[in-house]
Amino acid sequence: MERVLQLVVNGVMAGAVLAVPAIGFTTIFAVLRFANFAVAAHMAVGAFAGYVVNAWLGFPAWTATLAAFAGAASVGVATDHLTLRRLRGYSALTIAIASIALNLMVENALRFAFGNAPRNFSIPLMRDWSVGSIHVGPQQVENAVIAVVAMAALFAFFSLTTTGKAMRAVADNPTLADSKGIDPDHMARVALAIGMGLGGVGGMLIGLDTSLDPLLGFRSILSVFAAAVVGGLGSIPGAVVGGLAIGLAEELSLLALPATYKAVVGFVAILIMLTLRPRGLVGPRTS
Amino acid sequence: MTNQPRGSVTRRHALAGAAAVAAMPLFAPSIGRAQASGPIRLAGLVSLTGGGSAFGPNDRMAHQAVIDEVNAAGGIRGQKVEYLAEDDETNPEAGVRAARKLIDVDKVSAIMSVWASAVATAVLPLCWENQVMMLAIAAADSIAMLPHQGYFVRTQPHTELQGREFANFAIRRGAKHFYVMMPQTPFTDSVMRGIKDLCGAKGIKVSTVVYDAKKTSFRSEVDDMMRAAPDVLMIGGYQPDDIVLAKDVYRANYKGTSVGFAYGLTPQFIEGAGKEAAEGLYSIEPIPAAGSSAYARLKTMLKRDQLDTYVCQAYDHANLAILSLAKAGKSGGTAIRDNVRKITNPEGLKVDNALDGLKAIAAGKEINYQGASGPCRFDEHGNIIEVEFRLNQIRDGKIVEVKS
Repeated sequence: MERVLQLVVNGVMAGAVLAVPAIGFTTIFAVLRFANFAVAAHMAVGAFAGYVVNAWLGFPAWTATLAAFAGAASVGVATDHLTLRRLRGYSALTIAIASIALNLMVENALRFAFGNAPRNFSIPLMRDWSVGSIHVGPQQVENAVIAVVAMAALFAFFSLTTTGKAMRAVADNPTLADSKGIDPDHMARVALAIGMGLGGVGGMLIGLDTSLDPLLGFRSILSVFAAAVVGGLGSIPGAVVGGLAIGLAEELSLLALPATYKAVVGFVAILIMLTLRPRGLVGPRTS
Repeated sequence: MTNQPRGSVTRRHALAGAAAVAAMPLFAPSIGRAQASGPIRLAGLVSLTGGGSAFGPNDRMAHQAVIDEVNAAGGIRGQKVEYLAEDDETNPEAGVRAARKLIDVDKVSAIMSVWASAVATAVLPLCWENQVMMLAIAAADSIAMLPHQGYFVRTQPHTELQGREFANFAIRRGAKHFYVMMPQTPFTDSVMRGIKDLCGAKGIKVSTVVYDAKKTSFRSEVDDMMRAAPDVLMIGGYQPDDIVLAKDVYRANYKGTSVGFAYGLTPQFIEGAGKEAAEGLYSIEPIPAAGSSAYARLKTMLKRDQLDTYVCQAYDHANLAILSLAKAGKSGGTAIRDNVRKITNPEGLKVDNALDGLKAIAAGKEINYQGASGPCRFDEHGNIIEVEFRLNQIRDGKIVEVKS
């Protein structure tokens, strides 16, 4: 029982971090209607932006997280403007494939700029806190708090601001939103900035807990994609639910499967959802 | 003079063109001869990115240095050597793509210094099917058991042997429970087998966990390890996963002894994991022949104070390929395969570099190449025969050699 509880704690912590880039992924899908796999490289861009601010300029992790958002959002909008925007008229599959190419380009640009060696944020490495037989890392808790704050800020943005409401309108019914005079190009840029920015924050959080290198996002993208699909592609609350579900499922799989099959969980989750419930756990019916 | 429009084709042009096409087969043999007498091509399939990226750039540098030196002295029997390097990304898919290019397009005679076992396993069939020699570092036992027809030798000791060295470490420390954590690789089973055989005979309990190296956290795997309370832990991954694992082990407040492969616990590992998580970790590595003249020569060539075992092996690969070709008197992977064991003749003249070896071969002498990584003698499967190991420990952020 203790083991199950510990796995649940680990799963929730991992899921909270996973949910952040999953929200980014699903936000872009909701507005632009294609799976943008370049989120992986932008997770690394955000992590490196945060690293520069934290390790080189000496700012704390909280400030670095803002830099991660800003860095990944700026690069995300710029790279989309230079590449994927020109393909908007093509099918979702074509643009998704092009996004994989963009992902490779951005990753290699990072390699060129920072090299391949893993790097460490300038934060102290702390021992776990123990509550009875259950323990949790201070960094995990901090990451979970940052993830919750980022998600809360995003929900406030979508609920309280005009731009946020306009984005929801585009996601809900693009044709109707267009007839109401909502500029789709502007909404696309905002969605990309938010999506890639959240990807960058997710990358930064993973980097804080582990280390960062240009392939940081690439290693995580399957779980991010699985979280978005399980929650329902295009549904922001769904991405949160999906992130937690994948985080929990990956950790709890250790009860039944050897650790080497952990990655299978993401694939199986995608397969089951697409077969039995394509709209995901809480996704919109139209998706 | 006719007023001919530019670009039009006259009957005379058409006939001349047809004649040229018809005559092409007459020239074909000479084209073939020109290719055969072109440069000899040797390739490095090295890990410039991914888990082996700490070593690939140095390996490439060692290859290039040897080949530059040979070319400056006139090449192999007057034939220049061309060096090509490709990045395998420490990834079998990328490795196969790169090898295809080297074999099909560049027509190389040898592929040198393949580091990761997964890459070597994937690329070796291409080598033997195309009569290209592979001189590898990759250590998984299973590679040498493939039907490679002799187109494979390696300078890194095979992995069961390495596993036994880890078992010896646990035995020396009086371990009661040895917990082995390794990613899924072609050599995981053979390392674990080496450990279990030796530790089992001494009554040491061995627990093993094979994890998925691509995950960003191993907390739950480390929790299981903590519950088992071993006194010796093996952090047996590559550099990226070792970093995550070592951090999680530190956070969990593990008090026992940790040990890993030296290729994972590198200076870059210390940078990535942080000094606290890296402090006190032991690493085991096959050692180069640090007292040899080849080692001293390579240090001078690369302007380094210290060399890792892989750069020494890369130096040896380039020398072995060149000297085998010189011994054969012809190019091609088969020439290297048939002669790589003849240039380490114990009765021959001892040489530590290609230049001296080329001169001796030209003078009709037998040679005994003594490399920077060791004597470079291979068994019938391509495994290196003689090897020694070194034990290191990370102390105050530095890797230092220790006795036990």
